[in-house]
Amino acid sequence: MTKRLQPEQCELCPVNPKAKLTRLGMDAGKFDHVVAVAGNPNVGKSTVFNNLTGLKQHTGNWPGKTVVRAEGGFSFAGKGFKLIDLPGTYSLLSASADEEVARDFILFGQPDVTVVIVDATRLERNMNLVLQVLEITDRAVVCLNLMDEAARHGIRVDARTLMRELGVPVVPATARSGEGMVELLQSIHDVASGAFVCRPKRSWSEQGDVRKAVDALAEKLRDAFPGLSNVRWVALRLLEGDDRIAEAVRTGELTVVGSQALTKETEDVAA
Amino acid sequence: MTFSWEIAALSVAAGTLIFLVLNRRRRRHIELIEDALKHLYNCEYTKVSCTLESLSGALGYGREQAAAVVSELTRSKFITLEGSELKLTSSGREYALKVIRVHRLWERHLADETMVQEVDWHKQAEAKEHSLKQEQVSELSRRLGHPVYDPHGDPIPGADGSIPAVRGIPLQTFNKNAVVTITHVEDEPTSVYAQLVQRGLYPGMNLRVLDKLSDSLVIQKEGIVFEIPLIVAANVRAVPEQRKKDTGPQKTLATLRPGEEGIVSGISHGCRGLQRRRLMDLGIVPGTTVGAVMTSVSGDPTAYRIRGGVIALRKEQAEMVFLQ
Amino acid sequence: MSRREEILKTAEKLRWDLGERVHDHTVEALHAEASRIAGKVIAVSGEKPAFNYERILDALVTNRWTGFPIMFLVLAVVFWITIEGANVPSSFLAWILLDTVHPALNQFGGAVGMPWWINGFLFDGVYLAMAWVVSVMLPPMAIFFPLFTLAEDFGYLPRVAFNLDSLFRKAGAHGKQALTMAMGYGCNAAAIVSTRIIDSPRERLIAILTNNFAICNGRWPTLILIATIFIGALAPPSLSSAVSSVAVVTVVVIGIVMTFVVSWGLSKTILKGEASFFSLELPPYRPPRIWQTLYTSVIDRTLIVLWRAVVWSVPAGGVIWLVSNIYIGDSSLAEHAVHSFDPVAFLFGLNGVILLAYIIAIPANEIVIPTVLMLTVLVTGMTELGSGAGVMFELESELATAHVLKAGGWTLLTGINLMLFSLLHNPCSTTLYTIYKETGSAKWTTLAALIPLAIAFLVCFVVTQLWALL
Repeated sequence: MTKRLQPEQCELCPVNPKAKLTRLGMDAGKFDHVVAVAGNPNVGKSTVFNNLTGLKQHTGNWPGKTVVRAEGGFSFAGKGFKLIDLPGTYSLLSASADEEVARDFILFGQPDVTVVIVDATRLERNMNLVLQVLEITDRAVVCLNLMDEAARHGIRVDARTLMRELGVPVVPATARSGEGMVELLQSIHDVASGAFVCRPKRSWSEQGDVRKAVDALAEKLRDAFPGLSNVRWVALRLLEGDDRIAEAVRTGELTVVGSQALTKETEDVAA
Repeated sequence: MTFSWEIAALSVAAGTLIFLVLNRRRRRHIELIEDALKHLYNCEYTKVSCTLESLSGALGYGREQAAAVVSELTRSKFITLEGSELKLTSSGREYALKVIRVHRLWERHLADETMVQEVDWHKQAEAKEHSLKQEQVSELSRRLGHPVYDPHGDPIPGADGSIPAVRGIPLQTFNKNAVVTITHVEDEPTSVYAQLVQRGLYPGMNLRVLDKLSDSLVIQKEGIVFEIPLIVAANVRAVPEQRKKDTGPQKTLATLRPGEEGIVSGISHGCRGLQRRRLMDLGIVPGTTVGAVMTSVSGDPTAYRIRGGVIALRKEQAEMVFLQ
Repeated sequence: MSRREEILKTAEKLRWDLGERVHDHTVEALHAEASRIAGKVIAVSGEKPAFNYERILDALVTNRWTGFPIMFLVLAVVFWITIEGANVPSSFLAWILLDTVHPALNQFGGAVGMPWWINGFLFDGVYLAMAWVVSVMLPPMAIFFPLFTLAEDFGYLPRVAFNLDSLFRKAGAHGKQALTMAMGYGCNAAAIVSTRIIDSPRERLIAILTNNFAICNGRWPTLILIATIFIGALAPPSLSSAVSSVAVVTVVVIGIVMTFVVSWGLSKTILKGEASFFSLELPPYRPPRIWQTLYTSVIDRTLIVLWRAVVWSVPAGGVIWLVSNIYIGDSSLAEHAVHSFDPVAFLFGLNGVILLAYIIAIPANEIVIPTVLMLTVLVTGMTELGSGAGVMFELESELATAHVLKAGGWTLLTGINLMLFSLLHNPCSTTLYTIYKETGSAKWTTLAALIPLAIAFLVCFVVTQLWALL
């Protein structure tokens, strides 16, 4: 089997971050942070998951293979992390059961970090999901997997620019050989601990009358929930008839799904 | 007195039978009432006056039966009589909207989540509207993402009975060369609806009125030109389209040969529900560059490069995707 | 009205105005942004590698002339390796579990003074059924699944689905059903799990409900044995093995034809209204990781299925032993059952033994023939054969097996009908349980059992009646 993290001889040196990693497999009883792993089908999501947890979930070159929703754990730099493998989906907008599970977990399960695994060879297609995840949560790490494949196809991905465009850490990796896993661990740790503060850009917007409607609604939302970072997204969800979001607006729970900076609703029930 | 098993069994059987017959009667009775309310609401919504005659005509009730229904509706204070005109009271309207809500939600469900044919939607929804429980209705609405229009373009009343005004005007009122967007395709009577389905007319679709003849309209849709009788056109509502829309002939994805590329301009409105959503999730939206990569051994399906991935689509799907 | 309620009211009003456009616009805007970002961060180097093996491979596997030959070659190699490779471990396992451990257990029971019925129930019933299933099922699955998974991981199987889709489309099915069918030739239960690759609800149900017509590992030996005894024997000795092979292949082809016919029928009738969508991603070829694949396919596929089969075979073993050893009056339950089934079974050109065997050996097709032999010996009173009531057995030579079956009243017609019944009858309980797990629906599980069963009886009935006419 392939060696995952290279310099084995230096396993215990303090400078080697791998020394800080203990794979906990299924035994993630005590943990400090919850990490959700999202991604399109067939991007090596399970490989990354297995790499981090030491589990051996089946992976394969075919969409829809992940057998069960897996949980696992690892401990890094003295903190316990629990990893949740979400179903592989292309989007979080359609109403399929898989997508609902993934979306609800990121939105209401409140993971401390959401890792989005993307296929570097098919970045454009994968970006759709990344953008959607970044609408729901601020605390995300993008893992650019299959960098070796990309190189083989003559595709170069500029991780720095991508990081600037998205406003969250972007880690290039080749999970099957273990490359980049240490950096990924570090980024997860940094985002979870607050050492790195994500500032998602969210620069896209709709066109025409939909845009006008979103603007109008976002305006009102901003008034009612000052400090809410993803108002436009919430507005869009309301326009799409999303029950859970409407309920969150009604009860004021929206502050929770909003952002890491807890927003306080300024006004309660006014006439 | 000795106990007789035979008599006991017989009475149980008889009891069950009586219950079933009564229950059926009761249900049938409720259906009559609800259908009448629905009809009255439609009259009100489309601003047509409604009388005992029109009611018995529209619902196929005998005059006596219709009179009985009307008197019951009056007794329950669902309607009032103004001269010969039947008018809904607010409680009657509320009731009617509840029934209509179920009907239209169910049609939406059939359109989005099943492959049931268009012409069967109405009949199935007619049966469902009387039997679905309130909780089931709200669950259905939630699952569908609280849709606001049914697949024919009729608004679905909210749980609180809210409903917007009619959109659009009958197709035959438009002038020559007008470009319009269909807002509503009436599904009754079935024979007329079947013609509209056969022509592939759906809400959201753009049409151009090429010509107005004495008894028919010449229409261009997605490059296809055809004639529809005025009585059929009367069952389609539309609004004028402000933006420039092309109704001329359109190249589809299916015309691409391996090695060729094209830019997507849209997906046909005939492609809906799961089909449409999945295509869009794959990245087939206006502006996407799509290249045909290879065909399978038998020539169908064809694999396309879409946003970096290679996806095989069948010919009938590729024909739904228009290119610039 | 509170501000929050007002927001919701505004949203409702806007939704009426916008209608259905919101979703489309959102998706479009997201894709546009994705394109923009991708354009900024991706640079594709101009020079393509001189030798692009992927493009050449794709050209070959989808070519009109080479596509299908390559596919048949790959399938043939996979099956050949499975059959050849499974022989050795299979006989080894049979030697250990059936010929060594089983007598040892019996001896042990005798030595510690176990009552005969506990001994019989536990060792001859429960243990034997379990051991039989393991020794017949494990080796081919442990070879077939990893090979299949390797082809899958490499990226070849999606191309097979791509090539075969037009055929399946005509039957209202999905090209990927070709793969779940191929999987079914290994094990139907595992194939049911593999239908997850079909993302369209209707086509997935079709694949599930028709998978049974792919002859699983447990049914191959039955077909080969019966074909050899009853059909091969008709031909002169020099041709007999060729003739029996043709007979088995014919049964396989009938199975494939049935798959298409039933798929088509289902898509036009009870599944007509189910949601349907076609898309098939052709992932890039990726070098498979052999050890990883071996490990995970053995764990994920083989062991899970084997475990289910073992769990089901335990009660079946017990039942098989009990019906043969519980007496009512002068004869055992099994004999009573066989005699009362006989008249019905004859209508279908079968016999009571076969029907009873299929009922009590429902957990796994592997133990049908051993059960048939045991019951035949029991009913005919050929006590010199086998090892007693309720103890399943197989005979070394086909001649001896033929002798037993003929003594049980079997004819050529019985043989043909058994082959057809074996092909068409309901899936084993392990598969049915898996279907229930996968669909979560009692309705589909029931249909998955009843549709094939009805077809099996119908076909056997028609064959028998035609036979009587000729």
